[in-house]
Amino acid sequence: MSTEERIANARLVHRISFGPKPGQFRKMMKQGFKVSAKQLLTSGQPDYGDVKTAIGIADLGREPKPNSPSLSSYAVAKRAQLRNMSLWWLDQMVDQDFPFVERMTWFWHGHWATSFAKVDEPVVMFDHIAKLRKHAIGDFSQMCEEMVMDGGLIFWLDGQLNTARSPNENLSRELLELFTLGVNQYSETDVKEAAKALAGLKVVKNSGLVSKDARRSFVGATTVLGETNYFEPVTLARYLSLKPACQSFIPARLMYRFVSAATFEGGDLMMAHGKQKLSARLVKSAFATRQILPTMKVLVMSPAFQGLANSQVKSPVEWLVAVLRALRIVPSRYWNPDYFLKLLENLGQRPYFPPSVGGWPADEAWLSVASSQTLIDAAQTLARDGDTSPIAKIAKRERPDALADWLGVAEWSKRTLIAFEDALSNPARLTALAICSPEYLVSI
Amino acid sequence: MREITRRSFIKLTGAGAVVATHSISTFDFAHAAAPRPLPAGTPILVVVTLNGGNDGLNTVVPYLDPIYKSSRPQLAYNEDQVLPIGDGLALNGSMAGFKSLWDNKQLAIVRGVGYPNPDRSHFSSMAIWQSASLTPIKTGWIGRWIETQPKNPFLAISFGTTLPALFLGNKRSGSVLPIGGLQVPKGRVANDIKRSSKMTKSDGRLSASAARSMRDLFTVADTVGPILRNPAPPAADLPTVIGGNAGGESNLSSQFEVVAKLIAANVPTRVWSVSLGGFDTHANELSAQSALLGTVSYSISKFMSQMRAIGRSKDVAVMVYSEFGRRVRANASDGTDHGTSGPVFLIGERVVGGFYGEQPPLNQLKADDLSVTTDFRSVYGSVLESVLATPVDKVISGWNDRLAIFKA
Repeated sequence: MSTEERIANARLVHRISFGPKPGQFRKMMKQGFKVSAKQLLTSGQPDYGDVKTAIGIADLGREPKPNSPSLSSYAVAKRAQLRNMSLWWLDQMVDQDFPFVERMTWFWHGHWATSFAKVDEPVVMFDHIAKLRKHAIGDFSQMCEEMVMDGGLIFWLDGQLNTARSPNENLSRELLELFTLGVNQYSETDVKEAAKALAGLKVVKNSGLVSKDARRSFVGATTVLGETNYFEPVTLARYLSLKPACQSFIPARLMYRFVSAATFEGGDLMMAHGKQKLSARLVKSAFATRQILPTMKVLVMSPAFQGLANSQVKSPVEWLVAVLRALRIVPSRYWNPDYFLKLLENLGQRPYFPPSVGGWPADEAWLSVASSQTLIDAAQTLARDGDTSPIAKIAKRERPDALADWLGVAEWSKRTLIAFEDALSNPARLTALAICSPEYLVSI
Repeated sequence: MREITRRSFIKLTGAGAVVATHSISTFDFAHAAAPRPLPAGTPILVVVTLNGGNDGLNTVVPYLDPIYKSSRPQLAYNEDQVLPIGDGLALNGSMAGFKSLWDNKQLAIVRGVGYPNPDRSHFSSMAIWQSASLTPIKTGWIGRWIETQPKNPFLAISFGTTLPALFLGNKRSGSVLPIGGLQVPKGRVANDIKRSSKMTKSDGRLSASAARSMRDLFTVADTVGPILRNPAPPAADLPTVIGGNAGGESNLSSQFEVVAKLIAANVPTRVWSVSLGGFDTHANELSAQSALLGTVSYSISKFMSQMRAIGRSKDVAVMVYSEFGRRVRANASDGTDHGTSGPVFLIGERVVGGFYGEQPPLNQLKADDLSVTTDFRSVYGSVLESVLATPVDKVISGWNDRLAIFKA
């Protein structure tokens, strides 16, 4: 089987899914990239049913006053809800055979990067992500409409403090810069005008319920990017999502996360060259409809996605989930589920806690002496506690190849193969070594 | 790469050396592949990043200017709430530590610092400050400086989990230490990882970085691990403010604590990067900002006092900046929105204390915002040449200006 085909399938399974479950990569190689891509992209998602009831996510009511007797039970309940929703999401990423929709939800979480650190209400944060999940592979304009009225996002960006009489530009600016158009695609006047259209939103902090207070809203037309209209938050969001700048910006963000952060840094599609530029154009024209699934299909089939040059460093969540899938460890059923939350916090990427509204960094930012230490430690623990039978059953000399197929690695480097030699007789040690190797830390 | 010998290190940190007085036994180093210690007298830079856009007008406060009061009545400080330092300006009331550094002529305040056509985006503006380039480039200014120096994983160190853009070079970058300290993998695991992270020609850029980050763990952790378990240097001459020192324990003070320990142990680090977030005060600014500034002021004055105790105070320079200042006018939420220029602080015994640059006049705003009176690259220019001994245009191409902030 050609190295190119192995690289293409490894990209597909690590970037568009969350890494292979045991046996998946070999099956992908057998059926070929195209069939595997179609299978993954059209897999949909399971019917989750009423998740909130199942895992106990509910409005906690208003925070009790300091020193009141109910404060500690309130805090305990809040912590439990946050824990449950964190583990539930990791479970979905780990457990589903084809977690494409969760992969996209994860992408959008980094895009609309809203953090529990400020929102501080489990139900509001859960609902925020649930809305992203609902539109994760759907219509981007609808996603924008829903987000601009989302209690979590509004509160995160002080939208409830923005009034006609005295504007607060936080939400307006990020809506233009980070969510729809990209930097330098608007003027300072546009920020001020868009802030007027967004003025008067109110959020009930503990429930996330949003309403618009007419007395605090701006009365009259506003002019945003050349169009004068009686914009409301929802019509503004749709209007922005349909601007030409958005048609470049969102594909650039998709290319940044799924193809190459190095090439598509800065959200500019046209900075790319050759094959990259051609691919960027294809993705951009697919996004003319603002439909996300067809855009992703074109991205995955584009030459840049399979091109040899586009390596990416796995982010901590990508690394951990891939390891857990391979080792068949479902987070909530692990003997110490909190371990995973602490681990991701130590690695700097805990779900529901993006570091800022710009989302998580990429590539070299994840590579440091600090993270190396944590990764090595986690690799020992997970390889010890997980199911290493996919290599344990195999003859020693065939283990390196079996390991590559099991973990979805295109090819081991010579130095890693040499390092394997001493560890061949010990499956846990071999596994720990493999998941800390440069070939696994980086999606080649 | 230069082989670092353990003997040279022990020799330099032997009897009477600072390390010994702070109970780091040479035994610890004898078991480590210790690097060459930093010779006494080598300048050290500590870069302090205030994330979120610090409100300069409530940091260095034009408390006598009537326009200041009328523009932000609910956010303006009165004379009795601030620490006057002349020129109609005063430090935020929480910055008692900075005030005494000012009185000792060890604090330089560069006013109105920014760059042409200010960008109000946190990300673009921070990228400009960290890259020292007005057009997007991937490397940071310290990252490019690192590449002018001999290879040394200790050369530039920051804290946390992820590498700051400031430290990114093309081929080599700075190191990141976890605040909690490092545990070196031992025995079999260490052997395995050392072999699987060997350099190889077939590596692409990112695989090479991944391998290096694993390799560096052993060099850095072997040295740093034992040091971090030791007590911090004393800060005996730290003036106590009545009612306690504002600020106190915080993430920033823990970062400074680690820096102090490592400098005391003569780790060969020339640049340290520490940071504090929370300056994006769109709402309820007064209490939030003054708590943060108190932390900054306290952590730095305590750190300088520790440096005096170990005899490194002449070597150390601290620079404090934020990605932008904030609007002159308050918003309706008792906060301020993103603005333009702001003050940059430089602290150290080699600093010529005082004001630099013009205070942006409040009666000559540009589109309601403060003007930029000093280009940030001129501040970097003096830091590069006086602290890092590197011509500014080697790091910031096409830039030649600098301020005379440091003693010759």
